[in-house]
Amino acid sequence: MKKTPKVVNVADRAREEASVAKEILGPLVGMKLTLTRMVENMTGKVDPTIRYPEERRAYSDRYRGAHILTAREDGSPRCVACYMCATACPADCIYIEPGEHPDPLIEKYPTRFEIDMLRCVFCGFCVDACPEEAIIMSRETEICAFGRGETIWGIDRLMKRPELPEFGLGYRPNKELVDSRLAFVPKEKVQKRLAGRVTMKEDVEMIPHVTFDPLKESEKR
Amino acid sequence: MPKLTINGQEIEVEPGTTIIQAAQVAGIEIPHYCYHPDLPVDGNCRMCLVEVERMPKLAISCATLATEGMVVHTNNDRVKESVRGVLEFLLVNHPVDCPVCDQAGECRLQDYYMVYGLHTSEIPLEMKVRKQKVVDLGPMVVLDQERCVLCSRCIRFFDHVTHTGEMQFFGRGDHVAIGTFENRPLDNPYSGNVVDICPVGALTSRDFRFKCRVWFLNSTDSVCGGCSTGCSMRIDHRDGTVFRLLPRRNPEVNKSWLCDEGRMSFHELAAGERVRRPMIKGRDGMQAPVVWEEAVRSVDSKLKEIRDNHGAGSILGFASPSATNEALFLFKQYMAGQVGVTRFEFRADSEDKSVTEQEDNILRRVDKHPNSMGAIKLGLVSKEFGGIEGAIESAREGKLRAGVIIYFKPLVRRPTDEEAESRVAELIRAVEYSVVLAAHKTDWLAEASVVLPVTAWSEENGSYTNYQGRVQLARRAVTPAGDMRPVWQVFALLLAVSGADISWSTAADVFESLTETEPAYRGITYDEARLPGALVADI
Repeated sequence: MKKTPKVVNVADRAREEASVAKEILGPLVGMKLTLTRMVENMTGKVDPTIRYPEERRAYSDRYRGAHILTAREDGSPRCVACYMCATACPADCIYIEPGEHPDPLIEKYPTRFEIDMLRCVFCGFCVDACPEEAIIMSRETEICAFGRGETIWGIDRLMKRPELPEFGLGYRPNKELVDSRLAFVPKEKVQKRLAGRVTMKEDVEMIPHVTFDPLKESEKR
Repeated sequence: MPKLTINGQEIEVEPGTTIIQAAQVAGIEIPHYCYHPDLPVDGNCRMCLVEVERMPKLAISCATLATEGMVVHTNNDRVKESVRGVLEFLLVNHPVDCPVCDQAGECRLQDYYMVYGLHTSEIPLEMKVRKQKVVDLGPMVVLDQERCVLCSRCIRFFDHVTHTGEMQFFGRGDHVAIGTFENRPLDNPYSGNVVDICPVGALTSRDFRFKCRVWFLNSTDSVCGGCSTGCSMRIDHRDGTVFRLLPRRNPEVNKSWLCDEGRMSFHELAAGERVRRPMIKGRDGMQAPVVWEEAVRSVDSKLKEIRDNHGAGSILGFASPSATNEALFLFKQYMAGQVGVTRFEFRADSEDKSVTEQEDNILRRVDKHPNSMGAIKLGLVSKEFGGIEGAIESAREGKLRAGVIIYFKPLVRRPTDEEAESRVAELIRAVEYSVVLAAHKTDWLAEASVVLPVTAWSEENGSYTNYQGRVQLARRAVTPAGDMRPVWQVFALLLAVSGADISWSTAADVFESLTETEPAYRGITYDEARLPGALVADI
C-alpha cells in the first residue's frame, strides 16, 4: 500500500515556533561563530593561505616531478643506457649516448643522458620502463631557467640535485625491488605529520585525503 | 613430388625438401636456432621439433625429409610443451642482460620466449655458469659466450662458406662455449656475416655496437654499391643517418652473405664533404653558386655551341659505373640524342677491365662499381678511342674540347683509386669546358667549368645491373641536406631545356622508358627487378 506523504506547511510551523527570544538570540549565536573565526584568523590560529614561495603545498610521495638518476655504490650512474626510457617516452625528450664500460659485467653506460625538461610531460613512463631503477622522480616542480639550453639537464644535473631536499623524492614504484641509491645526501629532517592540504615549507609527511589500507579493508569483510 | 599435410594444410613439395622448408612454403613458421637455409643442417638446437603422425617421437623438422602422405603438426600441445621445455633449457645459463644487449629487439630468444616460453626461470642469476663476456674477435665481431645457445651456425659458416674454420666449441657440459683458438681475432673478409646469422646476442657487430637500439631503425631494400656483384642488402637508417647494412637473402646472387667491405661501405659515403649547390665558373675563374635552372640552361647552350663550332666528335660523355641504370639511360638520351655525342667512356680505373673477374671465390669482385655491366649494356663505351688515357691525349691535342663527367668515389677503396681520380682530374684540366656531376667535394672539382651536385647510392631510387646482367632495384633510404638531385633528374632537366619531349616524374617512369627503348633491357618490369632481380638480354 502506498503511504500518503505527510504535508508540512513551513510557514505555519514558523509562526507556531516563533518567539522573541529566538528572534534576538539567533543572530547572536551566528555572530559568535563569525567573530570567533575572525579572531582566529587575525591571531593566526587558522590560516588557509599558502604564502608561496615561502610556503608550499606538500605533494604526495608518489608525485611526478623532475627526474633523478640514481647511483651505484661508487657514485657512477646506475643507468646502463638501454634506451627503455627513451623508447617509452611519449614526448621523445630523453637523449642517450652509450659508451663501453671497462667492467664487462656492466658493459654499457651512458656517456650522455639528457632530458629536455621543456618537452617532458612528467608522465613517469621512463620510471616504469627502467629495468634498473636508474631513473626515479622527485617532487620538484619549479624548473626555471634563463634560456632553453639550461632546461636540458645532463647527467650531472640529474644525479646531483642540491635543491632537492626542499622537495623530497617522488615517484619510485620499484624501491623495494632494486637497491639503488642517490648520488647526493638528502637533508634528514624530522618529518611532521600534517593532515590536510596545507603545510609549511619544512619537511612534512603528508597524510593522504583518502586512506585505504587493504589489510583493514579485508578484515572488515 | 611428395604431398604432405602440415597443420591440416595440404602441400606438394620438391623431393628432398625438409619439413621446415615445406612449412615455410606453406607460410607456417617453425621455431629454430641452428637451421639456416644456406648452411648445412646440424640439428642440435631441438627447437624445430614437430609431431609427425605414426612416428613414435617428435622429429626435428630441419633434418626430416618430407615424404608422401606425411601428416605433420607444428602447433599442438605436445609440440608446444616440447618447444617450451627446450627453450627453458637454453635459457638456463642465459644471463638475461637484454637491456645492454644489441640483439634485443631482433633476438630469437626473446621472440620465442614471448610465443612459447613465458615461464619463470628456476635458476637464480647467481647460480648461472659464468663465461667470458665482451671478447674482442677482430674488427667486426664482439663475442659474449654467456648469451650463446650453441647452435653452431657461426662454426658451420666458417667451415662451409669461407672454409677458414676459425671458430669451434670449447669445453664440456654446462661449460661449452664457442670461440676462436686463444681468442684470436677473426680476420677473414666475411666475418661480419656471423653477426647476422647468430640468432641471439652472442656475436654482435663491433661497428654497430651500442650505436642504436634496433627498434628505432627503419629498413630500406637496396643493392650493395661496393662491387659489381651487386649483393641484395637492406639499409638500416634513422633520421637520415645510415647505421648498418645487412644482407637480404637472394639465392641467385649473394645467398645470405655480404662481405665486410660492402658492409662497411656506408662509412665511405658519409666521409668527406658534399657538393651542395650547383656552381658555374665565372669570367674570373672562380666558381659561384647558381640555381639549377640557370646551371642547366648554361650547360645545354654551351655544349651545343661547342658542337656547332667543332663538331660532336669534340665532346666526350664520361659516365660513371656507380650511377644507376636510369641515370645512365637519360645521360645517353641527352648526350647522344640531343647533343649528338658519339664518344663515350665510363672507366677511370684500369683495374676494372673485367666486370666478372672474382677477387675470391665467394662474393667479392675486382671491379668495385655496382653498375659497370649497366654502362656496358647501354653502350656507354667507345672502344676505338682508347679509354680515358686516349681522351686526355686527344684533349691535349685539341681534338677534344668538352666533357660531361659523372664522378662518384668508389664505396670500397682500393690503392688504385687515387690514380683513377687523378686521371679524371687530368681530363677536366685538359678540356676547355667540363661539366662534372659529383656527390663529394674534391680538390680538382674547383677546376671544372660547371659542378652539379647529385645524390649518391642510398640517396636515390634506381636500379643497378650486376656482373651477371641482373637488374636489381635499390630504394632511397636517406636524403642528404643540400640542393642535390639524382643524376637522372639532372639529365631530365637538360632534356627538357634542350626541347625534348619528356614525361618522367619518378625513377620508375625512367625505368619504364629504359625498358621500352634499350634492347638489352626490353621487357623487364619494375616488379621483376625486385628479388632476385631480372636478367638483361645478352646482346
